[in-house]
Amino acid sequence: MIGIMVAVIEVSKFILSGMPNIELTSFWLIMFTLTFGWKVALLVPVLILLEGTLYGMHIWWIMYLYAWPLLVLIAWIFRRNTSPVLWAIISGTFGLCFGALCSIPYFFIGLSSGGLSAGFRSMVTWWIAGIPWDLIHCAGNFVLMLVLYHPISKVMRRVRNLPPEN
Amino acid sequence: MKKNNKKTLIIAAVVLVALLAAFACVYMVFGPKAHKGSKEIVIEVTGSNGETTDYELATDAEYLIEAMDELAANGSGFTYSGSDGDYGMMIEIVNGERALYAEDNAYWALYVNGEYGQYGADSQPVADGDTYSWTYEFAQ
Repeated sequence: MIGIMVAVIEVSKFILSGMPNIELTSFWLIMFTLTFGWKVALLVPVLILLEGTLYGMHIWWIMYLYAWPLLVLIAWIFRRNTSPVLWAIISGTFGLCFGALCSIPYFFIGLSSGGLSAGFRSMVTWWIAGIPWDLIHCAGNFVLMLVLYHPISKVMRRVRNLPPEN
Repeated sequence: MKKNNKKTLIIAAVVLVALLAAFACVYMVFGPKAHKGSKEIVIEVTGSNGETTDYELATDAEYLIEAMDELAANGSGFTYSGSDGDYGMMIEIVNGERALYAEDNAYWALYVNGEYGQYGADSQPVADGDTYSWTYEFAQ
């Protein structure tokens, strides 16, 4: 099952690779967490390792180490909610904050070369420069979740033999 | 919808709208600013052999990528290409020399007045008198 979930994420990623910051990884991680619960904790390390193997373990890979587990944790905390609008907001907010999350390694890069202030400057400058892309990420995540939540949720509940949502 | 769910939804919506407004304000106030008007700049290219070629350019470009396009179009011999990434354009080939991180274990680093650049080519503002250096660097 983990293999299928990782394959679904990777195929979606490949299909959308021509559209910067439009991605389905957030959507799938949320949906898998809602359907399979804590077991998704096993999926995330496999996904991250595969990504590193496929694309190389560069700085973005370090960001993935904490960004995706954080999303799974957030989805698990809100798992009892069944409103597509709420999930669209959560996914959109995650997309919006993705750049800020990913700027953390730049603090340590700046810190190593110029001390604390250089660390903060490096992190904040990198984050601010990427805000327009974070806005696109937010909009993409919001719309994709809003459109796909109901149909995919229905299919996944059927796969798990769970009763339909109210 | 249950009362609790409705409350969570409203709080979540307010948080998202507040974050959107805050991020937009931060970008408008502190984001990269471009200066209009005629600017004299230098674009340097240092290849893997360590040789540097200088190009002087008078431009009205607001961002470096526009200045690079002008330079490439004016018969200077400067060429470049790249691909769109998650955070803007990744420069991959300069003056015919390729530096693909995944395949060549190297990349084109951008320096502005000798300091490591904080922005990509398409978000680096152009300022009068600045020197922009594309340097072939091997990954550590």
